[in-house]
Amino acid sequence: MDNTTHIEYQDFPPCQMACPILTDAREYVQFIAERRFEEAFASIRKLNPLPRVCGRICMHPCEIACKRGQIEEPISIAALKRFAADGPWADHYKVALPGKSTGYKVAVVGSGPAGLAAAHDLALLGHHVTIFEALPVLGGMLRTGIPAYRLPKDVLDEQIQTILDLGVEVKTGVLIGEDIKLSNLFEHGYKAVFVAIGAHEDRKLGIAGEDEIEGVVSAVSFLRQVNQGENPEIGKKVAVIGGGNTAIDSARATLRLCADAVYIVYRRSRKEMPAEEEEIEEAAHEGIQLFYLTSPLEIIGQDGKVSALKCIKNELGEPDASGRRSPKHVPGSEFAIDVDMVIAAIGQVPDSSLLADELELTERGNRIHLNVPNTLATTLAGVFAGGDAVTGSATAIEAIAAGKKVAISIDCYLREESPPTASRTEVVETKKLPSGVVEKTQKFARCHNISLPIDERLKGFDEVKSVFSEDLAVQEALRCLHCGIGASVSTERCISCLNCVQVCPVGAPATTKMGEINIDRFLCQACGICALECPVQAIDIGLHPRGELGQQIKKAVSMSEDTAVVGFFDYQGSFGPDDVSSLKKQYPGIAPIMVFGLRRVDTSDVLNAFEAGADAVLLAGCPSAREPFAAASSGVTQRMAQAKAVLDVLGLDGRRLQIFDMPERGLVDEEHLTEFMHTIADLGPNPLR
Amino acid sequence: MIIVEPKSFEEIEQMTKGCGRLLVLGCETCSAMCFAGGQRQVAEIASSIRMSKKMSQDQTEVLDDTVARQCELEFLDHVKDKVAACNTVLSLSCGAGVQTMAKMFPDRRILPAVNTKFIGRATKRGEWMEMCMACGDCILERTAGICPVTRCAKGLLNGPCGGATGGICEVSKDQPCVWQEIYHALKRLNMLHYLKQKPQVKDWPVHPDKVVRKDLREVGAT
Repeated sequence: MDNTTHIEYQDFPPCQMACPILTDAREYVQFIAERRFEEAFASIRKLNPLPRVCGRICMHPCEIACKRGQIEEPISIAALKRFAADGPWADHYKVALPGKSTGYKVAVVGSGPAGLAAAHDLALLGHHVTIFEALPVLGGMLRTGIPAYRLPKDVLDEQIQTILDLGVEVKTGVLIGEDIKLSNLFEHGYKAVFVAIGAHEDRKLGIAGEDEIEGVVSAVSFLRQVNQGENPEIGKKVAVIGGGNTAIDSARATLRLCADAVYIVYRRSRKEMPAEEEEIEEAAHEGIQLFYLTSPLEIIGQDGKVSALKCIKNELGEPDASGRRSPKHVPGSEFAIDVDMVIAAIGQVPDSSLLADELELTERGNRIHLNVPNTLATTLAGVFAGGDAVTGSATAIEAIAAGKKVAISIDCYLREESPPTASRTEVVETKKLPSGVVEKTQKFARCHNISLPIDERLKGFDEVKSVFSEDLAVQEALRCLHCGIGASVSTERCISCLNCVQVCPVGAPATTKMGEINIDRFLCQACGICALECPVQAIDIGLHPRGELGQQIKKAVSMSEDTAVVGFFDYQGSFGPDDVSSLKKQYPGIAPIMVFGLRRVDTSDVLNAFEAGADAVLLAGCPSAREPFAAASSGVTQRMAQAKAVLDVLGLDGRRLQIFDMPERGLVDEEHLTEFMHTIADLGPNPLR
Repeated sequence: MIIVEPKSFEEIEQMTKGCGRLLVLGCETCSAMCFAGGQRQVAEIASSIRMSKKMSQDQTEVLDDTVARQCELEFLDHVKDKVAACNTVLSLSCGAGVQTMAKMFPDRRILPAVNTKFIGRATKRGEWMEMCMACGDCILERTAGICPVTRCAKGLLNGPCGGATGGICEVSKDQPCVWQEIYHALKRLNMLHYLKQKPQVKDWPVHPDKVVRKDLREVGAT
C-alpha cells in the first residue's frame, strides 16, 4: 500500500471534497444520469461498505457543498446513493474478497459505523477481525439510535452481513473494560485493537427535578428500547429537549408510539438547529410542535411523576465558541408546558468510564485522547480509537471515515511500516458563483422521493421515504453541473482566437496578457459549446472526451448490414443502454453511438459517417430541454443545416440527415422515425457505399 | 488580423473537379481565427470533397493537413512530402498563404478555398470589420485612432462629404459616417483643432509594395 496519501483538494469537485471519505459523488451521479446503475453502485461501494445506510441517514455534507445549491437547490446526492445501492443491480456487484491472510488478529471494540468500516477494510487487507459488542445486537447507534422509519432494520442487517461475510468474527454481549480489559486482548492473541465505542451516554439537563421525578428519560436509552422493539412506556404528552437529530428521532418515535402531543424544546432558533433540515420539516409535518428559543428551567412533578416542564424564552446574544449565537434568557418570560414525560436529547458523550484506567481521556466530555491524531493511536501501544468515542457525537460518515483511516494505520502498525503522512488540507467552502452565472444557468427543480402519508407513517415504524424511481433518479442526476470535469485547453494547440471567450455562456475562459487561455474550472459546467466552436480542436471536455468518435462512426457503419443509419443518441436525453438496444431491435438498421449532449457532434462527424457509407444519420436527444444553457441547442441545428447543404450539393440529399428532438425520455417519436426510415428507403442506398 | 471568408462548397467542388490527388491544407493563424482554415474546416471540406469525388467515380485520393501559417516557407517545409505526393493543393489560407505555397511548390496547382477580404477584427461573433487598408502612411494620430482612409466610403482625408444623414453614411445604411465619429472622438479628447490642420499629402505606395529594413538586414548578414 502506498504510504503517502497526497491529496490535492482543488482537484476534487465540491461534493467529493466535502465528504469525509472522499466519495466521488460526481462520478456516481453521472453514471446514474447515463443509466449505468451498476457502475454507479460500484463507484460508491468501492469506498463505502455501508452504502444503503448512508443513502438513508447520511448528513450529506456533499449536498451542502454542491454548486447546484447556488442555482436553486443542491443535487439530491444522498437519495441518489440510496437509489444506486437499493437497486437489483447491486446484487451483481462483485464484492472485493479478503486479501491474502496476514495471520494477524485485530480486535474491534464496538460495531457502529466506525467499527464496521474498520472491520471491513481490515478484513480486505487480510487481517483476522473480531468485533466485540457490548449489546446483543450489532450496528451501534445505527441500530439503537436511529429509528426504523429512517433506517429499516433489515437494511442494516443486510449491510452488516456483507461485512461479516468477509470472515469477520463477532462476540456480542462482551463489555470491554469489564469482561475483558483492553490489555488482556493482547494476551488473547490480538495484535491491535480499535476502540470505537461511540457516544452512548446522554448529557444531563442539569435542571431541578431531573433525577428524582419519574418520567424523565435519556434519549439514548429511550431510543435503544424503541429500536430493540421493547415498547417502552410513554406518556400522553411528551417534551423532547434538544435540537439535534436524536431529539427529532425521539420525538418522531414517541409520536409513533401513540403519544397525543409531542413537543421539541430547543434553546436557539431554527437556523441554529443542528438536526437535518428535512428531518425538522418532517417532524413539524407529522404534528410535532417545536418551541424555539426556549430553555427548560425545571421539571415539575406531581406525586413523584412529571406533570409539567417549566421553560423560559430566550433571545440570541453574541456568537459563542462554536460560532453559534448563544441564547440568553428573557427575564419574566417563564411559562410551563403541560407534559407527563420528558426526554433529554441535548447531546451524547462517550461512556468511556470502563476504559479510564487503561486509556487517557480528555478532560471534558470523557472522550478518548489520541496520542497520534494522524494515525488514531491512543496512549496504549497497539490500541487505536476513532468515531464518536474520540470526537464526541458526530455523523455516521465521519465514523466510517475514522474506521477506514484506522484500517490503514493498523495495517501499517502490524507490518511495522511507517504510517501514511496525511496532507489533506481543510475542507474549503464552495466558492460563490457570480450572479450572472446563476441567472444564465437553466433551472431544474430538485426531485424529491415520495414520503408515506402521515396516517400510514404513524401506525408504526415503516420507512417514510421511498426510493427514487429510475426515471426520477436519472432526472435528478442530470441536474449535476459537472464541477471540475469541464473544458481544458491544450496550450500547444491553442491559437488564441478567443472564440471560446466569445461563446462561453458563463465567462469561464480568461485570457492572459500573452494570449494564453485559462478556463476557470469552477465556473465551467462542461456544456461543451467552446470545444465544438474551437477552430483548431484545442479544447476538450473532461466528461466524455471526444476521443475516438471518428473510430466509432466507422465501426458503426461497417457493422450494419442492409441499411446503415448512424444514430447519435444523447445520454443527456436519458437514453440508457436498454433504451438503445430495444430501439435497435425495432429498427435493426440503426447503429447507435452514445454522445454526451448532441452539441458534441460536429459537422465533420456527420459528413464522415456519410463518407464511410452511412445511408442516413440521425441525432436524437433533447437539444432544447436539457442543455445547461439555451445557446447550446441552436449550434446543433446550425451545424446540421450546414451539413445538409453539403449533402444537397453532392446530390446525396439533405433529407438523409435528421434531428429528433425529444422533450423527455420516451424515445424517438415513432411516427416521425418511421417516416424517416421510409424516406431513406425511397432515396435508396448511399451511392458512396 | 487578415480576414478571410470561406468560398461556397459549390465553388470549391467546381474548382477541384478532376484535380487529381488533392491535399486540403489548413492554416492555423488568421484563417483559423476566421473559422475558415482550422482543423475543423479542413476535416469538413476534405470529407465533402472525398464524397464528391466518389460520387463522380473519381478514384483519386484526398489528403489533409494543417500548418501554423502558410505564409512562412519554414512551416511549409513540414508538408513538402505530402505536397509532392499530390497533384493539387486546396489552400485554406489567405492570398499571402496561397501565393507562398505557389512559390514554394511551383510544379503544383494551388487552389484558394477562401476569399481574402481585408485587415480587420472580429466585432462580434461571426462578424468582422475592415479596419485598415494598409495604405502605408498612417494618419491615425490625427483622427483619434479612427481610419478615414479605410472606413470612409469615399476615403476622404479632409472631413465629411456632407452626404451623411443622421450620422449614417449615404453610401451604406449600415455604416455610420466615420468623419462624424472622428469629430466626436477628437472633441472628447479635446483635440478638435486637429481638424483645422490641412491634410498632408499622402505618400501612396506603388504596388507591389515592399518593406526593407536595413537595420535588420545588416544584423541578419553578420
